[in-house]
Amino acid sequence: MSGHRGSGGAGSHQGGPPGLKQIDLDQIWGDLKEGIEQVYNRQCMSKPRYIELYTHVYNYCTSVHQQLTRTSTKSKKGQVTGGAQLVGLELYKRLRDFLRNYLISLLKHGIDLMDEDVLQFYTRQWEEYQFSSKVLNGVCAYLNRHWVRRECEEGRKGIYEIYQLALVTWRDNLFKHLNKQVTNAVLKLIERERNGETINTRLVSGVINCYVELGLNEEDPGAKGQNLTVYKDSFENVFLEDTERFYTRESTEFLRQNPVTEYMKKAEQRLLEEQKRVQVYLHQTTHERLAKTCEKVLIEKHLDIFHSEFQNLLDADKNIDLGRMYQLVARIPNGLGELRNLLETHIANQGLAAIDKCGDSAANDPKVYVNTILEVHKKYNALVLVAFNNDSGFVAALDKACGRFINSNSVTKAANSSSKSPELLARYCDLLLKKSSKNPEEAELEDTLNQVMVVFKYIEDKDVFQKFYSKMLAKRLVQHMSASDDAEASMISKLKQACGFEYTSKLQRMFQDIGVSKDLNEQFRRHLTNSAEPLDIDFSIQVLSSGSWPFQQSVTFSLPTELERSVHRFTTFYSSQHSGRKLNWLYNMSKGELHTNCFKNRYTLQASTFQMAVLLQYNGATMWTIQQLHDATQIKMDFLLQVIQILLKAKLLTAATDDETELTPLSTVELFTGYKNKKLRVNINMQMKTELKVEQETTHKHIEEDRKLLIQAAIVRIMKMRKVLKHQQLVAEVLNQLSSRFKPRVHVIKKCIDILIEKEYLERTEGQKDTYSYLA
Amino acid sequence: MADSEQDNTDRGDGDNLKSDKLFTLKKWNAVAMWSWDVECDTCAICRVQVMDACLRCQAESKKDFYGRQDCVVVWGECNHSFHYCCMSLWVKQNNRCPLCQQEWSIQRMGK
Repeated sequence: MSGHRGSGGAGSHQGGPPGLKQIDLDQIWGDLKEGIEQVYNRQCMSKPRYIELYTHVYNYCTSVHQQLTRTSTKSKKGQVTGGAQLVGLELYKRLRDFLRNYLISLLKHGIDLMDEDVLQFYTRQWEEYQFSSKVLNGVCAYLNRHWVRRECEEGRKGIYEIYQLALVTWRDNLFKHLNKQVTNAVLKLIERERNGETINTRLVSGVINCYVELGLNEEDPGAKGQNLTVYKDSFENVFLEDTERFYTRESTEFLRQNPVTEYMKKAEQRLLEEQKRVQVYLHQTTHERLAKTCEKVLIEKHLDIFHSEFQNLLDADKNIDLGRMYQLVARIPNGLGELRNLLETHIANQGLAAIDKCGDSAANDPKVYVNTILEVHKKYNALVLVAFNNDSGFVAALDKACGRFINSNSVTKAANSSSKSPELLARYCDLLLKKSSKNPEEAELEDTLNQVMVVFKYIEDKDVFQKFYSKMLAKRLVQHMSASDDAEASMISKLKQACGFEYTSKLQRMFQDIGVSKDLNEQFRRHLTNSAEPLDIDFSIQVLSSGSWPFQQSVTFSLPTELERSVHRFTTFYSSQHSGRKLNWLYNMSKGELHTNCFKNRYTLQASTFQMAVLLQYNGATMWTIQQLHDATQIKMDFLLQVIQILLKAKLLTAATDDETELTPLSTVELFTGYKNKKLRVNINMQMKTELKVEQETTHKHIEEDRKLLIQAAIVRIMKMRKVLKHQQLVAEVLNQLSSRFKPRVHVIKKCIDILIEKEYLERTEGQKDTYSYLA
Repeated sequence: MADSEQDNTDRGDGDNLKSDKLFTLKKWNAVAMWSWDVECDTCAICRVQVMDACLRCQAESKKDFYGRQDCVVVWGECNHSFHYCCMSLWVKQNNRCPLCQQEWSIQRMGK
């Protein structure tokens, strides 16, 4: 490299040692330039020499110049306005020329290189140049601090600190001419890596570093922070286009030859690779755009294929692949909607199919029904949890699907009512909580009850569940058939948690009544022992509070004289304990034991009160007509017939006709003295058929009536708040308010509105169609 | 249900002493329902059934432990009945029975 003597008229030679502060540029330039060349040739430099060069610059900059009088410098104006006179322009120009010449000659070596060679060349030269320029910057520190800073402060464009000057010069003289080649070479290298070759990533990262470094903030050279325009314009944009092209081709090609599941693995791996690529040798800001580009090409473009594969994967229970697909599609904004819909439909169909498969047993066996539902739920709950990351949208899809198939399936359709589900669920609870030989362990029971609550959550007609549940609970409590008080209490508290205080208040009261009755029996027994005359039978009682128990009020019945005394004694006792209360005896719920003295063996018969009343009649005579029995007991005829039928079946009585169904009031029924049974204790207390049937019918009827009241209450609440409301809005609000209990049918709501208009809670607003107003 | 499955051995422990009746009653488990002995089963003040706690008590939902024993019924000399809670608020404003306008005096309290 030939020296370049500054002939730009830096003024006349003025002799004299540096100390005189009259130093002309040419005096120092020779030596300074030699030193700078040494720096750029990467020769070793001793410290004194470095100091020497620094001193040259310092001396020049601090010398008193007569530049004011000169006319050739552009800086004249600037310096006139400034206070102190700072020297440096000439030196700055020479440095600039030096760098430019250095780079122009460097370019000659690189201009014809291609591919890896050009990268080798470019990165090596860059690193050396960058290092040397930092040294030069150090040498010119004084110039930077004073002259350059002053120039910048005064707003001169195109003046940089020396290191930045070096960068700008590199950009204008080398980068400008080489960057196309270099970028292309980088892209080729990356493509080779994508194709599986190992590449020298240092070459890439060297170039990237250079591009990043070259991003000067020209407006404000002093500003901190990087300006990435060079990197983005010359590399990133091209790179992303290239990436898009590459993966479009690859993914289409791959999908043509491979199944989607394989493709998903490939895409997952590719996304990971690209992420690593950014970390290893690109600038971090590229990460987001690169990921977006890849996602678009790898996933979004193939969403249709994904969607159709999703169904196949669901059908085949490929949970891992489903998870992978979720992870991929989740990257696309709004990409999951279709998957959610597909999942919802699938789960609902699976549920329906599972219930279908059970056939009749699902409708008749609550355990089968509930467990079938639970299995479906468990399976897909696990899927959502594991494969779909418990994504709220997918949880909602699961919930919706379960709600759908639980409330409407082949069983409910066969029963022609959606209330079949809550009924079966309540029956299942009864199975679990009733004393039996197969009662599970406490912990297991608790677990099963939690499972019940899972299904309960989806039940639409929660009021139906409540009705059936309270019926069965009442029976368990009154007949002392509960397996465990703790389990009962736990279930009630679960229901309370799910549906609130009001939902379970009656259940809770029933529970309390049983406790109160226990104490009451205790007190009565003590009362009897203290009194002089004890009762001649073993008497116990349960006193329930009316209004809480789902029992019918008592039926007509004439109490056998044998029981009269007990009833009387207790009634007296009870009114001494309380005041203002009346007792209503539920004979149909009561039961007892009889001893027999008329058969070969002495049996103990466990019988209902009605059965007892009939049998006790035979103490007077061994043969009665049914009419006579009816007169004596006052039991309603159709009930009485059933009571007698059961006694005939038990072979305690015989009738003239063999066919039990042909009994008439005039039939005679005789005691069968030849009665025999293997057991000495015989339970003849069977529930009567019509009792069961009536019970179910009334349950459903009660539900309808209660619903009407609830709907009316809701309408009044809403109208009281809104005063005036359109029909449609009123209906919508009623539906919304009651959704936690049941789904009211619109025609029932209409009927309730009419009832309320009649009762003068509401009126139709005059002159306005379909509008109601509240009457206070 | 049967808990003894002995075979047909007669236990002749003097049962013929008892009676010559064919059937004798041994045991009776009765079920009865109690309610307040009132003419009208809704409280005219709060419009809630007197068997249930009055509106205020329900809102405070304190019946978890005390039950409606806490919210008892009261009868006036006029034989009209209300929740005791409702009535004791009512008489602060107007010492007359809300149904018949007679001077209110308590005949008895439910327990």
